[in-house]
Amino acid sequence: MSDTTGWKCGKCGEALVLKRNVFNYMGRSFGHEVPTCPKCGRIFISKELAKGRMAEVEALMEDK
Amino acid sequence: MEHLHTTKSICPVCGVQLPADIVRETGGVFLKKTCPAHGSFSALIWRDGGVPYEQWGGERPADIPEYCPNGCSSCSSHGQDTCCILVEVTNRCNLRCSFCFADGGAVLTDEPTVDELADAFRTLAEKNLTFIQLSGGEPTVRDDLPEIVAAAKVAGATSIQLNTNGIRLAKEPEYTKKLADAGLTFVFLQFDSTDPAVTQALRGGDYLSDKLAAIDLCGSLGLGVTLVPTVVPGLNSDHIGDLIRFAISKSPVVRGVHFQPVSYFGRCPYEPADRDRFTLPELLNAVVTQTEGLVSLEDISPSCCDHPRCGFHSDYIVLPDGLLSLNPHKGGTSAVTKTSALSNRCYIARRWKRDPESERFIAEAETLNMSDMATFLAAGKSNMFTLTAMAFQDRWNLDLERLNSCSLHVWDKGSAVPFCARYITAEKN
Repeated sequence: MSDTTGWKCGKCGEALVLKRNVFNYMGRSFGHEVPTCPKCGRIFISKELAKGRMAEVEALMEDK
Repeated sequence: MEHLHTTKSICPVCGVQLPADIVRETGGVFLKKTCPAHGSFSALIWRDGGVPYEQWGGERPADIPEYCPNGCSSCSSHGQDTCCILVEVTNRCNLRCSFCFADGGAVLTDEPTVDELADAFRTLAEKNLTFIQLSGGEPTVRDDLPEIVAAAKVAGATSIQLNTNGIRLAKEPEYTKKLADAGLTFVFLQFDSTDPAVTQALRGGDYLSDKLAAIDLCGSLGLGVTLVPTVVPGLNSDHIGDLIRFAISKSPVVRGVHFQPVSYFGRCPYEPADRDRFTLPELLNAVVTQTEGLVSLEDISPSCCDHPRCGFHSDYIVLPDGLLSLNPHKGGTSAVTKTSALSNRCYIARRWKRDPESERFIAEAETLNMSDMATFLAAGKSNMFTLTAMAFQDRWNLDLERLNSCSLHVWDKGSAVPFCARYITAEKN
């Protein structure tokens, strides 16, 4: 999900903005834009991303 | 002599089940057995000089019934479900290879009709066996093969693989297009070497130009191709590095190389001596040393859907400057956990199937930033490349514990029969 409309940080109350973050998985790092709190840096991982690209990366990298 | 393990095998003469010992002697690890009627037999199963026998995946003790493997048919004692199911559509063949697990073309039998095959595909789909290998003989001798592919697709097969020598695919592009249009997913192409002399020796003719044409044609039709060499020591065992480099040069059409060290079942020209065997550690050494740094042993893992000593697998993404290994942390020197046949089926299909959308993404990309998740995913789907191996067993080296873990089955008279059990014949049979 790249739409940040209406999402606020639960901790700071700041409106989330799209920002490139780095994810580490099985020894590799991947950059991807996700909604991020501009104040504390917390990120929001949508169901779409978790079940979409992240799951695909997992399937690609993990063994049988 | 050091005793390592006790298992079961068969007498290569009469086929009766025998206890067998796996022992270390000078030169390697051997399987030894004695038949009261036909004497003692010894077969090399793991030659010294590579990965130590004990470090390749561990043992898989199994409860082997007394009748195994004779009359084998979906036995409840079998230790693994079906991953891929091989369906023989003919036993005719347009070649007479020196080695042929199916002894193709030797004795012609009635071929199943398209309707009979459609029934079989429906039965398989009901059992959730949706990864079909069309095999033979040579399946492309059948003019109605496109109808057979379509029948498998209609029945619910999700992956339809064609095991072929590729000759007709190359010579009749319209026929190949019909197969692709009918729903063929990928091609398992007999491909022993890039040296025509090897094809001449193993297959009785120089078919290299046909095989190259078949690869290009499959490429244009969106079909993935996996190259399948039979590795015979002294004949093409020094060609492994060249073959891997060739395969990589044909990515993304070519999805990998599936090595089959020569096995002495079906039709084989002679009873093997130990020097005639190319054991798994030798193949691993050859893959690593002949690729000169491209592939390392740490990339490669033992089979986990079958018995660890039945093969290996490694996964890569082909990049402009080489291979990116996807599991370099694993290596082959630890025990492996058995995986499910369903998981393995999905794993294979993901790797051998082409992905046109990702191929377009990669073709249009100016640079490949593999730290970007979208680019990594597209490159992984487009340029996936696997090195895999399957070491089939014959009546001399058969280890029934290995057979018990087999996930590659042949559909035979309504039963799923483990591959080696289907094709092993004792001398007296």
